[in-house]
Amino acid sequence: MILHTMIQILALLWHQIVAVFAEFRRDWAEALRFYEEAYRALREMIATSTRLPPVQRLVEIRAVAEQLFFKISTLLLHGGKVEEAIAWFNRHFNSYKHLVGLDEVSFLHWDWLSRQFLVFAELLETSSAAIPNTLSSHFGTPESSLTEWEIQPAYYYQLAANYLREKRYCLDNLLSTGDSEFSRTSGKVPESVMPSVFIGQSARLVEQGDMIEVLPLSDAEYVQYALSEAQRFQDSYEIIALFRKACESFTNLKAPRLASLCSNRMAKEYFFTEDFTDAKKLFDTVSSLYRQEGWVTLLWESLGYLQECSIRLDSAKDFIEYSLEMASLPIFANGDQEIPDSKREYGPAGLPSQSRREALQSEVLSLVRGEEIVSRTDRGCSIAVTKEQPVRIDVDIISPLRMVLLVSVAFHDQSVKPGSPVMITLSLVSQLPCSIEVDELEIEFNQPKCNFIIINAVEEISAARSNGDNQDVRIETAPSIVLPTNKWLRLTYDVKSDQSGKLECLSVTARIGKSFKICCQAESPASMEDLPFWKFEGMVQTFPTKDPVLSFSGQKVIQVEEPDPEVDLILNASSPALVGESFVVPLTVIPRGHEVYSGELKINLVDARGGGLLMSPRETDPFSSGNHHVELISISRMGGDDESRIHSDKIKKIQQSFGVVSVPDLRVGDKWSCKLEIKWHKPKSVMLYASLGYSPNSAEAARVNVHRSLQIEGKIPISITHTFMMPFRREPLLLSKVKSLPGADQNVYLPLNETSILIVTARNSSEVPLRVKSMMIQSNSNKNETPYSIQHVGGVSADDSLLVPGGEFKGVFSVRPKIDSPNLELGSVCLNWNRDLTLSDSEDSGVMTEQKLPAVIVEQSPLVVSLEFPPHAILGIPFLFYIKVSNQTNLLQEIKYSLGDTQSFVFCGPHDNAGFILPKMEYVMSYKLVPLCSGSQQLPQATITSLRYSAALNPSVTATTIFVYPSEPNFFVADNEKETILAKLNL
Amino acid sequence: MAGTACFIIVSKNDIPIYEAEVGSAAKKEEASQQHQFILHAALDIVEDLAWTTNAMFLKAVDKFNDLSVSVYVTAGHTRFMLLHDSRNEDGIKSFFQEVQELYIKILLNPLYLPSARIASSHFDTKVRALARKYL
Repeated sequence: MILHTMIQILALLWHQIVAVFAEFRRDWAEALRFYEEAYRALREMIATSTRLPPVQRLVEIRAVAEQLFFKISTLLLHGGKVEEAIAWFNRHFNSYKHLVGLDEVSFLHWDWLSRQFLVFAELLETSSAAIPNTLSSHFGTPESSLTEWEIQPAYYYQLAANYLREKRYCLDNLLSTGDSEFSRTSGKVPESVMPSVFIGQSARLVEQGDMIEVLPLSDAEYVQYALSEAQRFQDSYEIIALFRKACESFTNLKAPRLASLCSNRMAKEYFFTEDFTDAKKLFDTVSSLYRQEGWVTLLWESLGYLQECSIRLDSAKDFIEYSLEMASLPIFANGDQEIPDSKREYGPAGLPSQSRREALQSEVLSLVRGEEIVSRTDRGCSIAVTKEQPVRIDVDIISPLRMVLLVSVAFHDQSVKPGSPVMITLSLVSQLPCSIEVDELEIEFNQPKCNFIIINAVEEISAARSNGDNQDVRIETAPSIVLPTNKWLRLTYDVKSDQSGKLECLSVTARIGKSFKICCQAESPASMEDLPFWKFEGMVQTFPTKDPVLSFSGQKVIQVEEPDPEVDLILNASSPALVGESFVVPLTVIPRGHEVYSGELKINLVDARGGGLLMSPRETDPFSSGNHHVELISISRMGGDDESRIHSDKIKKIQQSFGVVSVPDLRVGDKWSCKLEIKWHKPKSVMLYASLGYSPNSAEAARVNVHRSLQIEGKIPISITHTFMMPFRREPLLLSKVKSLPGADQNVYLPLNETSILIVTARNSSEVPLRVKSMMIQSNSNKNETPYSIQHVGGVSADDSLLVPGGEFKGVFSVRPKIDSPNLELGSVCLNWNRDLTLSDSEDSGVMTEQKLPAVIVEQSPLVVSLEFPPHAILGIPFLFYIKVSNQTNLLQEIKYSLGDTQSFVFCGPHDNAGFILPKMEYVMSYKLVPLCSGSQQLPQATITSLRYSAALNPSVTATTIFVYPSEPNFFVADNEKETILAKLNL
Repeated sequence: MAGTACFIIVSKNDIPIYEAEVGSAAKKEEASQQHQFILHAALDIVEDLAWTTNAMFLKAVDKFNDLSVSVYVTAGHTRFMLLHDSRNEDGIKSFFQEVQELYIKILLNPLYLPSARIASSHFDTKVRALARKYL
């Protein structure tokens, strides 16, 4: 047997020596092979070796195995064979994990295991550069059973920490029982123990004079030695450091849950070492993750620790918060079955169960009612809520304590008149396992005057009053304020607000006991979120208010309207406004019930069709006054004495479309009016807004507003048209007019140095009678050098002539251009008019409407044809018909002319002929005609053709019409006068 | 039957909707809620793994001491997580498949709100029976 063992040891040694030698030669494959052989040889020795006492033997084997494994994994990892290294590690771990050994020294086993993980983690970390990046891609596939996490050092750090913790538990158990065989038998710790030269062995140094002897240890001595060594060592700090390392690297890997597992264990370790501040911090972070993900049991566990931490840190507020949250958690129903003889160790909170929740609630309630709570882990530690240190907990919409108390507030209306009461329903719900009785509810609004307090009728009112210094706060009583589990407590009260604006319920504060308050932010039922944990619970869903409509649309905000104005604001406009005039709108303020103090009148003009601004967007300079289509000119006091004029002249601001004017203080029975002068530049429909803001009495700041609006149409009063005509029976030849296509352009052609007639027609297009004061044509250019002459020759007399709606006014002007120009400006028509008003104050000078005449084309006409024949003829009596063509050029002109036949006349003279006209001469064609029919008759159609210009002239029908009397007309006038009349007609 | 096993159904928004401790009492003293902590942490791994494979049954995704976590991901991304110490892979797979059938029956209930907790005692009894049968 001994021989066999010896052979094994030799084989092991040989393998190891060869491996070290190969390593020295840098023959990695060879070295690896021999280390593996050595490791295998070591495993065979586990059961057989008896060289040392059993405990020390195990220690030695472990130490050797560790040494060999370290070599193997280093070689593998540096060769980039991560998977093999991990597989080796797993094999190593599996083969040694059950080698616990005796109970007394089990801590050594856990310590060793932890070290394996730590060493491997560090190896992985240092050789991470050698790990190929492509490795992670085939994890989870059938050929690799590894997961991505197994190549992370964090995974091993975490496990190292776990085993170290295991070691600590064992050690603690061992020390606490204190009845181990070893401690009894060999009470003293051996001195001068040191590691021997052989790996994994220890020896005692004994000094004998100068000689130092190394003596082997007995197992009992060794255990004592190991125990004392282990006790010296601060495991907790090591554990925390390992967990922290793992946690940080998991956080970097974006694995928050793994990280939180590490944080949680770290926190427990801190808790164990009584570092409650750090523990609380860590538990707070992990519990927020569990809270967010809804892992109730884990949250329960973490909160239990937090509860304990807050007792130890003497924070009653935190303790109450954590306890209330725990009590209101929806625990799993099947978690109730507590196994009585279970050896499990729970956190300070114990097993989550209904009974525990109820116990927690009663514990908190007794605490806030004055009792002390003692820590579960340390009996010496306790907290209490006293009057000197009241506790107030705030619950907002993201607080986990919404489960404890949720307040929904709904006004029954959306708006209310000031001073009139409105119903408000407060709905409170709690998920605490037992009913909870509230002593007092304090409802707070954004208008402090509306705040009120609801007192439990059981409680003495005097007691409630005594503790509050706010005597003027309204106090209501309720028969009892008890919140059953998951059942809305609805309280409906009246609220009255005198201040207009928004009235919002901010919070509801519940007071329980003398010195505990829980302040809950009010929520509108319409926008209320579900409770995070209870959302998916199979519980009865109820509405916060009885009226389901209110539950869906109720708001915690109500609009308090302004008081009704008791002042009349009268705006008047008798007729549509006319463009150009300054239109007057009278405005009157008559106080009916209110007096007007510090009144302010705002006038605003807005485009009635929308768009807001009253100017065209294309205008270049929007701030010049001319660009506004409608303009507010002035606001002036109407028919008042001087004093009031001063008042009203205090116009604060007038812009083109906006004005503010102050209104003097008015009493009931007074009256104040003013005139708004508005001018339209363009026809536009305008909304006139007038708003009067005032205070009903001099002291109060609340203002009342009266609004009035009026739509006023702006209209064009007069439309002006014009026509150009040639003198009667005179036709100059205008070459460009002949050449231009008929109807192609609307240009007006005028012959040079010929008199043309301009007829201007002004038509009243409004609905009110107007008076025309004057009409004239104003030239734009310099007066003494006009390129044309214009004279007013006739038309309707422009002396205040009345123009009824639809009526026309005509002016006749003669125009004689003096220069040849393709673009002659003739100036503009100016019409001065005013409204036909009989009012006394309409003495204004009238409104000038101006319209530009279009430019005309003036050209020299080469030929002018004029027709001459008497104004009338008598049946059967011949008369002469001359066609005169005057050549105004310096050229010889050849013309052809013809006269067609008609049934009404016979004539003598050529039908067709041609002739030449000398320069500046006139050619006269004369025909003698005899009328055959009476009445208005068309003369034979004459056509004159100029060969040079290829232009033909056909005189117009009106120009060639003559009236034929059947016989000599009898005008019943004296003979001598008859001649004069005939002579005049001949003109 | 395994020594210890903890079974949790996690809804697709990561909230546990069913939990059961199946199997006998824990051997380790420290167990308490530890099982749930481990399962919760394993969610991170499942999150990674679930998208790399077509299989619904993910074999031991995580190991803790001698306990391993097996996960079954349904098509609706509800996760059945089992913490166990047995190596009976086929049994676990059958267990998951039968639990999924039960879960589908729960889903078909018109009164059941998806992602809500499974409070049905019938479901609980059946799951425990299945655990006894397969694990």
